[in-house]
Amino acid sequence: MGAGGETVTRDVLAGETAFLREELFTDYVRRWKEGGGKVIGYSCLIAPVELMEAAGLLPYRIKALGSAVTELADAEMSLYNCSFCRSCLQLGLDGTYSFLDGVIETNGCDHMRAMFENWMHRVSPPFFHYLKAPHSFRDDALEYFRGGMELLRRDLEEHFGTRVTDEALEGAMEERARVRELWREVCRLRELDRPTVSGSEALDLEVRGSSMLSRDFASLLAGFLEDRKGAVGREPLARLMFCGPATDEVAWFAELEGMGAVVVADALCFGSRAFLSEPPSGGDPLERLAAGYLGNLLCPRMYGEYARRRDFILQAARRARVDGIVYLYNKFCDLHGVDSALLRRDLEREGIPVLVLEKEYSARADLGRVKTRVQAFLERIGGEAAWKGASS
Amino acid sequence: MERGFVLREGEGGFERALGILDMIDKFPDALSDEDVEGAADFVYPDLRNTVLGLLELPSSRQLEVLFFRRVLRIFREAQRAREEGKKLVFIPFTFPPEIFWAFDGIFPLCTEIVAGAIVNICAGQGERFWDFAMGLGLPDSLCSANTIGMMNLIHGPGIKPDAIVYNTPGSCNPNAKIHAFAADYLGIPQFTLEKPVDETPRGREFHYRAFLRLLEELEEWSGQRLREERLREVLERSYRAVDLYNEYWELKKARPCPVPNIFGMSLLVLRSQMWGREEAVEVLQRMVDISRERLRRGEFTAGEERARVYFAYIYYLFDFYNYFTWAEKNGISILGDILAIHHFPEPDFSSKEAMLRLMADIAFEYPMTRQMGASSISVKWLEDISRAAADLGADACIFGGVHACKHTLGTISYLRRELMRRSGLPTLILMGDVMDKRHLPMPMFQEEVKVFVDQVIAKKRQERRRRRGGTA
Repeated sequence: MGAGGETVTRDVLAGETAFLREELFTDYVRRWKEGGGKVIGYSCLIAPVELMEAAGLLPYRIKALGSAVTELADAEMSLYNCSFCRSCLQLGLDGTYSFLDGVIETNGCDHMRAMFENWMHRVSPPFFHYLKAPHSFRDDALEYFRGGMELLRRDLEEHFGTRVTDEALEGAMEERARVRELWREVCRLRELDRPTVSGSEALDLEVRGSSMLSRDFASLLAGFLEDRKGAVGREPLARLMFCGPATDEVAWFAELEGMGAVVVADALCFGSRAFLSEPPSGGDPLERLAAGYLGNLLCPRMYGEYARRRDFILQAARRARVDGIVYLYNKFCDLHGVDSALLRRDLEREGIPVLVLEKEYSARADLGRVKTRVQAFLERIGGEAAWKGASS
Repeated sequence: MERGFVLREGEGGFERALGILDMIDKFPDALSDEDVEGAADFVYPDLRNTVLGLLELPSSRQLEVLFFRRVLRIFREAQRAREEGKKLVFIPFTFPPEIFWAFDGIFPLCTEIVAGAIVNICAGQGERFWDFAMGLGLPDSLCSANTIGMMNLIHGPGIKPDAIVYNTPGSCNPNAKIHAFAADYLGIPQFTLEKPVDETPRGREFHYRAFLRLLEELEEWSGQRLREERLREVLERSYRAVDLYNEYWELKKARPCPVPNIFGMSLLVLRSQMWGREEAVEVLQRMVDISRERLRRGEFTAGEERARVYFAYIYYLFDFYNYFTWAEKNGISILGDILAIHHFPEPDFSSKEAMLRLMADIAFEYPMTRQMGASSISVKWLEDISRAAADLGADACIFGGVHACKHTLGTISYLRRELMRRSGLPTLILMGDVMDKRHLPMPMFQEEVKVFVDQVIAKKRQERRRRRGGTA
């Protein structure tokens, strides 16, 4: 490519980056910052947003919104690392996330650990805390995790000069409970015979809500549900369930749903799995919070809990009367890659067709291949004739 | 069809490897060059480079015959374990085997050692098991070393464990997941020991309690109590090996390095499979004796030691001849890898509790667990590699990247940068796989290393000499 071509490419990239910055540094976050509020980034579902909110901070789930640019991150991490993590790191390195006043690392997976380590070395955020989560849910693990939350509480108090009282924590937990309750209602509308909420809409809600305080997220959900009151959906050509890790590619989802199927249920990290951390009732709030998070983390990073994950998916699939399950994960994700092989065996035995789709995060060039495979899957589960008739 | 490829009735990869390994018992104690040549000509091509890698150089020949005889002994025992009323458990190479040897009725077999035997002994180098994994829908970014080992179990027929025990949750996802997968797939019990990513007293205490819980679970499952006398016996034997390991490390410091390169592979197998047994002491003693004698005589395989390299990660283990032997013949001393860096705690055998603490600490500080399971992978890894490289006088490091190892691949840039900045050590980064030659064939490995030695290390040495006032 000549010099002119390079300039054009650079301009396009610069334009995309500027757009992305606005998408990530939302008006909501901007107003929060202008009001003197602090924003704290996290990445994994194990990070307790209630604790951050009780400290008066705005929890912000780090995302990449489909940005596939990774050139700076590729200098730190290899191409064998998850492209979602590299995309997120890229946004840390290029300054897009400079509005974060701190970052909480969690040991979700090997890729994420590497991402955070590079973030620590190269971005050096003003506040950096590592919340270490065990990989099993047992008494000793829970006690350790509760202790870790206590350390996080103290660290937040010390750095941000605030007090995280039990009352504040209880309040934050109540607000989060309200979010979960409303999310369940969203899910109910997705599960209708004629769904009035699509999978990409649900994903979009979660993506937007993960940059908000729980009370405002609840308002967003309540408003959305109000709008959908009395709505009449159409019968989908196929009812699908999507399972897998963190993905915030709303447009990508919409593209797949545009093929005629509706994602009526999910077990995604940016999705239903983000709303499972129901704490037990009664007792020390921090302990309840720890139990709610560690005990309900249906993520393949947890060991000895495969059967629970399988049963959760199975129940959700049956409740939503799905025709098939698409298990999608980013290339090099060993946690989900290995789980998907077992799940495919077990779910197919239960009579649920499964498509396992390995993909690159936000690779538009990959979309054609993915759509072909999804279409073939839809033909398999819906019958070739029915599918051809539907698409004509 | 190549010789050695055929699996007989009821035989899996492990049994096939064991059957071929049987020939080592028929070797005379002292092999001549002609014997080695004859053996190499007799076997099929995949085994040829294993035979030559172990036996071609007189520096390591005697030791490797002894070493493989001991491997054979352990494998045979594993095969008989069930008949003898013992429970057979598979463990990853990150788990100290001495913990299991301390049980009268549990026999540990290291997944990666079994895989290594299949890859280096059987024709086809274990690729059929890797391909079988792909057939099951497993991702191609897993680790060949444990995937081949686990797929041999699932593929069958042949050896089957009673349980799988692993300690890699949190320190290595591919390792932990494939062990969990095999247990779930086969429907056999799995036990885990979690090492938190936390070196503080709080993290250590959590680990110790998890360790005690694991022992309780193993006791209940096997129906046997861990006896104090047996524990002491195994630990005392382990620490005799530790003394020898320390001597071995000291010998590595000499210039030129008197320790044959292939001993690095043998040390890995001893530590992962035999530690706590008399075989580890016996073989290590011989390794030390041979190296000491070579030092006394000033023996070095090549005319000149052209480079002393420390492997910042792990070795590639699928063609000993073109890796260890080739390097040795070309004057490249391989000083060690991450798995050769041991931090053995001060021993205390005074009581059962003291010994349990000691065992838990050994597991906590075990190679790879210690670095990849640290609160900061990059910081702990850098700390250990730079110390080892400095202690042994390395000219440079080589990072043999493994596509499965996302933790190191995600932090190698930091390691390379900081090794150079803090210690002036250049690092060659390679991308390949530990046991699957298809990722980085040996000729490419050799080319990369040769250019690195010729262009970087040689110039660095010249520069050093110039600064000292010598001629270039």
